[in-house]
Amino acid sequence: MADETHAPQQHAPSHHSSSHSGGRPPGAGGGPAGSRPPGPRRGKRNYVRKKKVCRFCVDKVDLIDYKKPEILQSFVQERGKILPRRMTGTCARHQRWLTIAIKRAQNIALLPFASEL
Amino acid sequence: MEERLYDLIFICRPDTPETEIDKLIATLTHAVEEKQSKVEKVEKWGTRRLAYRVKKLREGFYVYMVLRSNHGELFKELERRLRVTDAVVKYLTVRLDEEIKRQEKLSKRREKRNARRPRKTAPAAPGAEQAATAAG
Repeated sequence: MADETHAPQQHAPSHHSSSHSGGRPPGAGGGPAGSRPPGPRRGKRNYVRKKKVCRFCVDKVDLIDYKKPEILQSFVQERGKILPRRMTGTCARHQRWLTIAIKRAQNIALLPFASEL
Repeated sequence: MEERLYDLIFICRPDTPETEIDKLIATLTHAVEEKQSKVEKVEKWGTRRLAYRVKKLREGFYVYMVLRSNHGELFKELERRLRVTDAVVKYLTVRLDEEIKRQEKLSKRREKRNARRPRKTAPAAPGAEQAATAAG
């Protein structure tokens, strides 16, 4: 709504907003951004997200060893839940191997199923 | 049939004397060899903290073995023995040959790719050299 009131005064920013609203339905998001001068987008997602990369791909791991709980530990929450891919940035293939490794490690008491308080 | 590779890990009570653990390993090895199979590796990891309590224990003595066999029934026998042995609180057998095969395949592919890559970057290096000589 605010978008419409400011649009006649500043044409360029509104143009900017239309260009970055690319994939989403018109008017759905980025509304307030149109009234602001061009620059880093404001709104709910103001911060720049650091690009996460799969740690196993970086280290060129072809086999995730279930016998090394120190490595697996960092992909598990404090209470023992397996962290999702969106948190750790692990690629699909390595996440698949990782879950298997974690579950094996849990079976032989190297990792907790659910750590006690 | 192709030989298969297995991991066998078992956890003993931490208060069992080491001689007893050695004896257990010897009997298992014997059972393995009876079936024309091989024990590739035996590792005693020693006493470790368990991630959760098993039979009211917080620590356990881990023994890790790598076996190569093409008799699946062997593991039925080994697991039965481990179940019967009082000192053993937990065991796990994992078949690993397929995963290792996959790993080898991927490693080989990566090696191949790396071998090819220098050829691509090679022409760039002489070019840089020429530029350096032209400047000098």
